[in-house]
Amino acid sequence: MFGLIGHSSSFSEARLKARDLGFEDLADGELDIWCSAPPQLLETFEVTSNTGKTIQGTYIDSCFVPEMLSRFKTATRKVQNAMELAQKRGINITALGGFTSIIFENFNLAKFQQIRSTLLQWERFTTGNTHTAWVICRQVEQNAPLMGIDLAKARVAVVGATGDIGSAVCRWLSRRSGVADLLLVARQQQRLNDLRTELGGGEVLSLEEALPEADVVVWVASLPQTLTIDSASLRKPCLMIDGGYPKNLDGKVNSPHVNVLKGGIVEFARDIGWQMMEMAEMANPRRQLFACFAEAMLLEFEDWHTNFSWGRNNITLEAMEQIGAASIRHGFSVLGLEAASISPLPIAA
Amino acid sequence: MASSVLVPSVADGLPDFSSEAYKSAYSRINAIVIEGEQEAHDNYISLGSLIPTQVEELAQLARMELKHMKGFQACGKNLGVEADMAFAKTFFAPLHNNFKQALAANQVVTCLVIQALMIEAFAIAAYHIYIPVADPFARKITEGVVKDEYTHLNYGQEWLKANFEASRSEIEQANRINLPIIRRMLEQVANDAAELHMEKESLIEDFLIAYQEALMEIGFSPRDLARMSAAALVS
Repeated sequence: MFGLIGHSSSFSEARLKARDLGFEDLADGELDIWCSAPPQLLETFEVTSNTGKTIQGTYIDSCFVPEMLSRFKTATRKVQNAMELAQKRGINITALGGFTSIIFENFNLAKFQQIRSTLLQWERFTTGNTHTAWVICRQVEQNAPLMGIDLAKARVAVVGATGDIGSAVCRWLSRRSGVADLLLVARQQQRLNDLRTELGGGEVLSLEEALPEADVVVWVASLPQTLTIDSASLRKPCLMIDGGYPKNLDGKVNSPHVNVLKGGIVEFARDIGWQMMEMAEMANPRRQLFACFAEAMLLEFEDWHTNFSWGRNNITLEAMEQIGAASIRHGFSVLGLEAASISPLPIAA
Repeated sequence: MASSVLVPSVADGLPDFSSEAYKSAYSRINAIVIEGEQEAHDNYISLGSLIPTQVEELAQLARMELKHMKGFQACGKNLGVEADMAFAKTFFAPLHNNFKQALAANQVVTCLVIQALMIEAFAIAAYHIYIPVADPFARKITEGVVKDEYTHLNYGQEWLKANFEASRSEIEQANRINLPIIRRMLEQVANDAAELHMEKESLIEDFLIAYQEALMEIGFSPRDLARMSAAALVS
């Protein structure tokens, strides 16, 4: 059995979900009630691969909502308790979806292995970042040409370049995709310097400097709500891959020559019998899901019961290739631009 | 969303065990724990009268509770605190009365739900949260106690699981009536617990985790659990 640990993308969404499930009292409750709520095992479902293998999965709602991010202890407990529940249910491999992996990493939860009477076994969990990084890179490789962008000549900005997913994306784009220029955007100078050294290239720019320069922008960072993007200053055409969580680029970019693609999303070859993706606003909730969740499925399909994606800055090209091959083999495809949304190519000046 | 919220500040240190505020809160919390263990002892003996085939087993659980009680009495003495037993008796009264009524009506299931599920889960939550902020003497005692309490929770769970279909609606009713009482008890103790560096939020959450897990083992579905737990979360 594989597991998925997730959460609602906002407190109001959590309330809607509770009401949908028939929990009126909880739906009407204030945030502090949710702060006291234990993780809930919401659904168990089956998934059948193109190889014919069928596996079972469980979705655990951690009852975390992003409004809890400023409450360090609360956010910590939500993640730890969800992990404890997954382990106690004997789940072989569980993906930490949404903010849960970010909280785990940033709040250093690897230091706290003992949760009440359970000693967490890290091998039972994965952040899902390897598959997410691979998917984002494939989204770049497949969709840039559709917009007339030649990667061999293109400037590709990675916003959040030093993060776990960002650094993996940089590695792949520079060594596998043959991208001409990588523009590295991140907050911490030291990590950026280390990344440049590792890549043997790449240009460090601020976000404001990078945006007007980039033919492709890969967003793999948490964005401030206040961020505004001057669409007119962007290149024509420009492909944006929104790999951030939650996804909020759509409302910020308004230009016929800029296409925003939801990053880190895959589509499965057949329907999955679950309800949970309805809430995630997927266009096709029975088949579309976050790549991090899909990684848990792949690890279960393959019996690779290990923390395949763990820590920060550990994702290798080989691991990305390995998970990518499994992804294709079992029936996942990466989300692409809808044909109708691609504007005609601008005429060269 | 500012990046700074993702970088946590330093966690709380230990409380000052010798301060008047601490000792005042401790006099009530310690009393609650002592009274809880005493009543647990009495309750398991009473249950023996309802389940004659289990008399020996239940007597053993009762003996463990008495041992716990003595341990916690020592914790109070160690800090120079006199337990406020009158407060504790009042604190437990509503739950205790419901147990007595169920006992008189031969309602084994209700008695087990109150003692072996709810009170044990409450104790497990409280002790887990207490341990990291306890004085060294109390910490050792409590660590030993917690292990036993899991055994007791397990006892209730196994009996109810074996009799699930027959017990189901009585469990739901006992839950509906008594969970709000547990909720009120947690509210009542919140300020004193905070003085001991124990957070109300964690207490409720931990209680529900232990309680829900027991209910799940017994046979309730995940949907049932969320529904049944709402009574503890919503005032």
